[in-house]
Amino acid sequence: MNLVHRKIKEIGSDWELLLILAKRDISVRYKQTILGLSWAVVKPVATMLVFLFAYKQVAKVQDISGYPIQLVIFSGILFWNYFANSLQAISNSILVNSNLISKVYFPRLIICFSSIAVSLVDFLVGFIVYIILALSLHQSLSTYIILLPLALLITTLIALGFGLIFASFSVKYRDVQQIVPLIVQYGFFATPIVYTTKQLSEKSWFTLYNVLNPLAGIVEMFRTCLIDNYDLLTSQNIMISIAASILVFILGIIVFDKREDSFVDYL
Amino acid sequence: MHIIEVDSISKKYALSANKGAVSLKNGIKSLFTKEEKEIFWAVNDVSFTLNRGDKLGIVGSNGAGKSTLLKILSKITQPTSGQIHVKGKVASLLEVGTGFHPELTGRENIFLNGAILGMSKQEIKSQFDEIVDFAGEQIARFLDTPVKRYSSGMYVRLGFAISAHLNPEILIVDEVLAVGDADFQKKSLGKMREVASNDKTILFVSHNLTAVQNLCNKTLHLEKGRVNQFGETGDVLTNYMAALQTNRLEQSYDSFDSAPGSQQIRLKRASLIPELIEGQNYLDIRNNIKIDLEFWNTEPNQQLNVSLHLFASTGECIFNVGTPTGNFGVGLIQASLEIPGHFLNDGSYLISFMVVKDKSIVLFNFEEVFNFEIADFREDTTWYGKWPGYVRPSFTFPIRQLSDSI
Repeated sequence: MNLVHRKIKEIGSDWELLLILAKRDISVRYKQTILGLSWAVVKPVATMLVFLFAYKQVAKVQDISGYPIQLVIFSGILFWNYFANSLQAISNSILVNSNLISKVYFPRLIICFSSIAVSLVDFLVGFIVYIILALSLHQSLSTYIILLPLALLITTLIALGFGLIFASFSVKYRDVQQIVPLIVQYGFFATPIVYTTKQLSEKSWFTLYNVLNPLAGIVEMFRTCLIDNYDLLTSQNIMISIAASILVFILGIIVFDKREDSFVDYL
Repeated sequence: MHIIEVDSISKKYALSANKGAVSLKNGIKSLFTKEEKEIFWAVNDVSFTLNRGDKLGIVGSNGAGKSTLLKILSKITQPTSGQIHVKGKVASLLEVGTGFHPELTGRENIFLNGAILGMSKQEIKSQFDEIVDFAGEQIARFLDTPVKRYSSGMYVRLGFAISAHLNPEILIVDEVLAVGDADFQKKSLGKMREVASNDKTILFVSHNLTAVQNLCNKTLHLEKGRVNQFGETGDVLTNYMAALQTNRLEQSYDSFDSAPGSQQIRLKRASLIPELIEGQNYLDIRNNIKIDLEFWNTEPNQQLNVSLHLFASTGECIFNVGTPTGNFGVGLIQASLEIPGHFLNDGSYLISFMVVKDKSIVLFNFEEVFNFEIADFREDTTWYGKWPGYVRPSFTFPIRQLSDSI
């Protein structure tokens, strides 16, 4: 706990650098693309449309849970994109910024934390799109929406935890760079992103599933915050997800702290 | 009051077949097998202390561990053993324009680079105009252009301008002065002198011994990772230059059989002797250099001459001189050449010579017979940048006032 406290303080002391690196990533990202910010709209909407097509036209699935299917899918994608993009950005952050790391000293964690910025902006844009979508479907918003920042924080912690572990190992073992995209690809289907936990909740292994994939609980948290009267989130879900994200975050910090001194020797 | 205390720090690197990053497969393998790794000590048991306001020059040949030492001192990498105590805020400049992003404008990069080097936003804002001013008019005009459109000169000028406005208590600098055109070099060395004149502590790695001599009061000479000498700049540089110049200044062979050369021509002795001025213990641009070559010839009645080439360390031939051709018999032949002082500029040089028959057939080319270094020497100057050119003649070049009206 002491270590985590020390590390967070380290970042706090260089808060300005974190902000400017975040700003750098955001402005570079939107300078290099013609459509700029609209990609943050196009990507989740396109993914949603593809699944709507698959469910309605191909698989003839009429209803997956009793909630508006567009909102179920879109809120899942909103969560998943934030988690997956953050995870990938954090995992690559040390290698991508190797020129900085080998030339200047600053708390290395800053580069990992600042790399979340782009995903966060994308999330906020997607969130606005979600509100427009919900209103256009004549759905009212959930009052739990005020708890959305909390769900976002839990997602950030777990993305940081895993991301820091991958970032630490990818410096010495470059294979790790290949593993993260695979996790993102399979994780999309192993997590209730384009379906809900309703279909799983009667299974005997449901608790085990929640423990093995704490992201399932977090998606349902997002949906509870976003979809009116959404009642699939259990207190067991909440406890497992919060505990898992804190544990993974601490583990990530410990692993990172153990390895950060040797980064320069492998870059 | 010591501001920096370095206590026997060492840095070890394991030289294995795959340097740097490894594949997961090899990583897992190495957990189970004990691989014999070659150990390399980049920095070995280095200790020194500096007081507030000291300017330390770090010199040594390539691979002596200078850069590794700077990286350890600036906390970029950790020493394998030993301890460092530093009191005060450190800024390190290991390259110009660290973290510049090509897509961002000059203005954005000033804030980015400044923050990376440890300046607060407030500090950058308050010095922004000065930075742009120092970087020059051209930068000011292209301040809102992405730096990827900058020429390399502009890039370096902007980078240096930011670094020059850093205000730490301890500044670690690696060779950044060797950048930019002559004009900008003058400006940056001027700035360094300005910085050096206040109570900042500076650690400065450079191959420019003139700059070290004039900016630093203390010098650390590293050799193969170890401290060769640490002390007052004058003492250390004198020994350093003297050591540099022991490189192959004389070679001689006792017998024909062991000597290099061909069937017909073998080298007996070659020597390069500078005529040092009293009190001087290494060669600089003022000194005459005497070169003596002796070689054996085994064929009678030969029309021979010697042709000597002098190369700069970069490979260009500076000059080629030849002896007259003469008729020589079996035995020992000698050729002597004197290169006058105030002719070659400071730098590293190589000498090769060939023995030529009948003015056209090369009998043997003795390559790189001498490898020597000429040090700089300046009086009454405030400029310490590298003097340009391969030659450094002291022609008389008078200047006078012709009239007092315009």
